[in-house]
Amino acid sequence: MIDNLYADIGYHSLTKHGEIVCGDNVKKIDCPDGSVVLVLADGLGSGVKACILSTLTSTIISRMVAENLPISYCVHAIAEALPICSVRKLAYSTFTVISISPNGLAHIVQYDNPGIALIRNGKEVPLPFVRTTYDEKMIESAQVQLLKGDVLISFSDGAEHAGVGPGMSYAYGWGRDNIVEYMEPLCHVGFSAKTLNTILLDECYSRYDGRPGDDTTALTVYMRTREQVNLMIGPPANREDNEKMLSLFFSKEGKHIVCGGTTSKIASEYLGKPLKVSLDFEDDDIPAMGSIEGVDIVTEGIITINKVLEYANDYLKDNETYSQWCYKRDGASTISRVLFEEATDINFFVGRAVNPAHQNPDLPITFSIKMQLVRELAECLRGMGKNIRVSYF
Amino acid sequence: MTLTICIGSSCHLKGSKKVAQTFERLIEENNLKDKIEFHATFCMGNCQKGISVGIDDKVYSVTPETAEDFFAKEVLARLGK
Repeated sequence: MIDNLYADIGYHSLTKHGEIVCGDNVKKIDCPDGSVVLVLADGLGSGVKACILSTLTSTIISRMVAENLPISYCVHAIAEALPICSVRKLAYSTFTVISISPNGLAHIVQYDNPGIALIRNGKEVPLPFVRTTYDEKMIESAQVQLLKGDVLISFSDGAEHAGVGPGMSYAYGWGRDNIVEYMEPLCHVGFSAKTLNTILLDECYSRYDGRPGDDTTALTVYMRTREQVNLMIGPPANREDNEKMLSLFFSKEGKHIVCGGTTSKIASEYLGKPLKVSLDFEDDDIPAMGSIEGVDIVTEGIITINKVLEYANDYLKDNETYSQWCYKRDGASTISRVLFEEATDINFFVGRAVNPAHQNPDLPITFSIKMQLVRELAECLRGMGKNIRVSYF
Repeated sequence: MTLTICIGSSCHLKGSKKVAQTFERLIEENNLKDKIEFHATFCMGNCQKGISVGIDDKVYSVTPETAEDFFAKEVLARLGK
């Protein structure tokens, strides 16, 4: 993308209270030319029927848009393909399509979903929508050049109506404009798309008193620049490779994270700067951090990374532990913030030296566990849409 | 005197934080802040016998249970207390 522009994407759904499946669906397609297509569909009703309608809609449209077919074709194809509800005599699913080309040009098409918002410099900017009618359906479409820092927020009507329901305190729901107003000041804090999205849905959840009256989905796109981060863990299997591993690691652009006691020691020797270890025990479970001039983060190895992996797994599911790692100063939280929120490209430098002290049957840490941790963490980070490169030494 | 405690992976799991807290309390209680330079370090390469504690250049093994005793016998004794 131009100027290293990168579309950071987050989406998640809350399922209507009492239903087992969600009637909203989000599909994301990464096209070979580097563009990305996103569709948020909301099927009529709730439960399995709605789920089928929205999944068909999002799947068909995303595929067709990815193949560059005109939107009129897509709308027609949906009308032909959706099964008609025997109760309501209707085949219906609302949708919002966002297609972003590698240079940051966005095509937005929406049909009956609450209006998508573009937030630029903390304020909503109106989108130049053009209205067209296909098959008696009024479709709005707009084109906009996205800039660094822009945030697009789209949501299903479950968010708009958050708080409506028996015994709930919001007679008219949260409201589209109120949601946008709530999100505006948060958009230039630097939160990742996933975090912004979680903040929005958390507010919906609490307005529904934990019992969503409708399927509620939000989709957030945050336009940012690529940010490379380098993480080194473990000394190389052969001592002679120390120099090679360290010089490659420190020649990389971006932040440098060094994990592990021995690893920190060889990094400090390589840089000729002392390794200092703090006595601040921020967290009971996580060992204190260290510091070396020239290294951004210095931590203990396996216990810290194990915790980062725990946070990463949760980030991809409910993101409930966000409330912990977002502010805590221990090593695992600090690494999590950099890897999950800041980084778009991460280089892992993994040394395969076996720490003889760790091969003790009394301890729950072994060499194979360390390799496993790194593999799983890399997988999770890929799942967050980041480019990951792992080199072994 | 330099007093070092290992907070590497292995010693951490064995409870080096508790030992560090005990030492911090005892240093405070005995008013030894200007006599003892207390700091943490990553792995001291003595994991099997950890929790590793160093007094100047010598390495000892301590557990949370023996920390208080160790402080009296090794640290205070050395300072002539």
